Amino acid sequence: MAWRNLWRNRRRTIITASSVFFAVFFALAMRSLQLGTYDYMYKNIIESYSGYIQIQDEDFWENRIVNNVFEAKDDLKQKVLEDKNVKDIIPRFESFALASSGPRSKGVMVMGIDPEKEKLLSDVEDKLVEYRLTGEAVKALKSEDIPEYLSENLDIFTGNSYSGKGSLQLDLGIKENDEEAVMPLFEKYASVENRYFSMGEESSLAGDRLSRYLGLEREDTVILIGQAYHGHSAAGKYAITGIVSIPNPDLDNKIVYLPLDVCQNLYYATGKLTAMVLHVRDNDDKAIEETISRLDSRLDAPYRVLGWKEMNSTLVQQLEADNKSGLIMIGILYLVIAFGVFGTVLMMTAERRREFGVLVAIGMQKSRLTGVMVYEMLYIGLLGIVAGVAVSVPVIFYGHNHPIRFSGNLAKIFEDYGFEPVMVFQLIDNYFISQIMVVVLIVLLSIIYPVVKIAKMDEVDALRA
Amino acid sequence: MITKTAWKNVWRNRTRSLVVIAAVTIGIFAGVFAVGVMNGAIDQRIDSAIDNEIAHMQIMAKGFSLNNEPGSYLNDVRSLKDSISAIEEVQAVCDRLFVVGMANTARKSAGVNIIGIDPAGEKEVFNLHNELVQGMGNYFGGEKGSYGVYMGKELAKELNVIRYEMNDDIIDELRSSGLPDEILSEFGSFSGNRFSNEKDFKKKMRSVLTEEQEAEYGRSIIEAVSAFSERARVVFTFVDMNNTQTGSVFRAGGVYDIPNSMFENKYVFTRKAALRNLAGFPENAAHKVIIRLHDIDDTRKVSKKLRADYPGLEVLSWRDIQPDLALTSEMAEAIYGLFMVLILAALAFGIVNTMLMVVLERTKEIGMLTAIGMNKKKVFRMIMTESVFLSLTGGVAGMVISWIVIRLTSEKGINFRSMEEGFEALGYSAHIYPDIGADFFLIVTGLIIITGILSSVYPAIKALKLDPADALRTE
Repeated sequence: MAWRNLWRNRRRTIITASSVFFAVFFALAMRSLQLGTYDYMYKNIIESYSGYIQIQDEDFWENRIVNNVFEAKDDLKQKVLEDKNVKDIIPRFESFALASSGPRSKGVMVMGIDPEKEKLLSDVEDKLVEYRLTGEAVKALKSEDIPEYLSENLDIFTGNSYSGKGSLQLDLGIKENDEEAVMPLFEKYASVENRYFSMGEESSLAGDRLSRYLGLEREDTVILIGQAYHGHSAAGKYAITGIVSIPNPDLDNKIVYLPLDVCQNLYYATGKLTAMVLHVRDNDDKAIEETISRLDSRLDAPYRVLGWKEMNSTLVQQLEADNKSGLIMIGILYLVIAFGVFGTVLMMTAERRREFGVLVAIGMQKSRLTGVMVYEMLYIGLLGIVAGVAVSVPVIFYGHNHPIRFSGNLAKIFEDYGFEPVMVFQLIDNYFISQIMVVVLIVLLSIIYPVVKIAKMDEVDALRA
Repeated sequence: MITKTAWKNVWRNRTRSLVVIAAVTIGIFAGVFAVGVMNGAIDQRIDSAIDNEIAHMQIMAKGFSLNNEPGSYLNDVRSLKDSISAIEEVQAVCDRLFVVGMANTARKSAGVNIIGIDPAGEKEVFNLHNELVQGMGNYFGGEKGSYGVYMGKELAKELNVIRYEMNDDIIDELRSSGLPDEILSEFGSFSGNRFSNEKDFKKKMRSVLTEEQEAEYGRSIIEAVSAFSERARVVFTFVDMNNTQTGSVFRAGGVYDIPNSMFENKYVFTRKAALRNLAGFPENAAHKVIIRLHDIDDTRKVSKKLRADYPGLEVLSWRDIQPDLALTSEMAEAIYGLFMVLILAALAFGIVNTMLMVVLERTKEIGMLTAIGMNKKKVFRMIMTESVFLSLTGGVAGMVISWIVIRLTSEKGINFRSMEEGFEALGYSAHIYPDIGADFFLIVTGLIIITGILSSVYPAIKALKLDPADALRTE
């Protein structure tokens, strides 16, 4: 009966349902984009730097000096590896130094890594630059016979570096049937020869942006000067074997990698570490929290267990603030829609006073009448939700597979703030359920009015209306 | 006549109209207020960036902005400054030396940009001297030849130049600021203790305070116990003009605090003379000449003139130095408009529904009006006017409320303390003073009227399709 009632005033039903649809669609698309982008940013910083969990000396995080290091003892490793969620340990030695090359210098982050183990997490080798679109390279490419669109795109992306064919082709929008013709040209003019390093080698890898700032090329030498363990002073010269492109612009601007043992020698700290990054089996929030608390209780005083949220607290706060502003906006939208729904309820009640009166007079219980009203409104709400979901899901799926990548000035804004200029949609998740809950809540709230009205209704009066 | 009828029509079904009007009021209020907060934050960011960080324009040698090579400095800065000062729009000019290096204290070090300034000239262009944290040193107060350093609060914390100490004086100070005695007696137990960083002190503080007490008093306690080690040793090391490593001992002089932790961490200031002596720059050299204008709107004009006058130099306006700021302020307006359009679109559904209802319940009446000779245009206008009244009444109410609320909150500002770290990392203050220009209200008014008109189109067409004879017959 409720369903049939709905279609007595078809237009109104459709308009009300479409207002719900409008809100649901916007809310879903926006949530998907926000949450997806947060996830992407978190994953980015976790996988290129912090990892999910680190074990450090208890003072290192607040006081990042070479004296706050610890010995990588076997029994410590054993204890950590016994945890069921820990697959492996990635050792690191991290410090600051002044890097100079010729007249240029800059304060940098020096990171000693185990070249093999690091592949488990940040995989520096995979980030070695393969193509570099320098001014000369672009010029040479444009002098060849290349399609129009490609030469336009080359202008936009001049100066960029790529760690693989895939990302190069994606940025430049190289079409499949052009691939065979143009790729050899890129090999000829824009490819860079880079090499990873191994333990014991007196060589280094530099971030792409850093290398451009310092004017470093492969085979050049970088001089590192800093403070070493127990007041020594650290100084060393290292040949660059490769340039790496790190997705996080802030890190890319300041990172120099050294093989772990070489780095420990530089800082007079043989056998010491600043952090053990844990390679975990299960990385969802709950599993990480549990692992941290387990390790916390097993490891004693000089060690401290840090989770990624603690290590990236600034980013977590920023995204939290952004998240809240998004929620406020959706809240305003839903508030407005709620009034619309309430308006519809009001009209329905008013125009059907007489009908209600008749129904009650011929013996329908008020509670059943209320039930009919509730169903009617719920149907409208559901109609809007179903339509909203139906339209937003394809959009979200498409967006998930084709992340939005900004270029030009907009990209620069993101990079200035240390973010990668990419927005990603998140696939269906809990946020879908919360939208549905909100709409149901709106409907239930607006239904209070007619329910009270029906309960108070005097049949005789109503009949006369 | 039509206007009058339309206005009266609005109030024929008071409850229904009030629901729509309330929806518009709340929607417009929420939207305008949210925009006011965003706009206030962005304005504050731009003001702070220009007053403390970059000023309106900077001139440097070609290529310096890319690699900051110490050797590419400007010669004969005095005459350059003189001729720029002569330009009418220019308020003040100063010059700076700029080297990239490391700052080291006894236990820690950090990469920094060391800026050599002339404090007197600097005050004319920047406002940084007014951002001195109270009780933490001074702005180049020592003798002229001294190696004093003016540094950001974040860096001072990082380098342990700010320490944390609990003593009887501080307990007295906290007592006079109204802290309960029960907390103070707890603090008495570790009076005289020193802590090298904030974390150590917080740990101790947490051991004696409850969570509610910490939330209420924690911040003022930390402020009271943090002490600046004036004249602490700060060693600067950097590469000089001849590519040789050089450095010297400087002394902590003062601490500034601005809502940009990136800047605080990176920029330290010292006297130009001190830096010049160390690095061997000539007497009349500087890396940057920095310009403040009377009016920011003249930036384009003046930079064009300077570019023509000094083709061999790089002339950068604040837009070139911080393109993100320029774009944010330009894009902001579009985003505010979009935001309001979204809200109004949601409101439109409610208005359409109501107007449709209006038309349907007045079928007979509209039929009558047409039958006695009112033409279709007038009927259309009557319905449209009624719809505009509905939206405008709510809209004006919403704007008035939001204007009042923005005025009230802009006096004390709104504080997002819990997210301060995140805000300041992006250069935004967590204490926002909402603000919005009068022109925004005009735009919103226009948008509201358009919404009213657009949402009446469908119901009005519906009304016109009615055949007067049929309409009269309906019940």
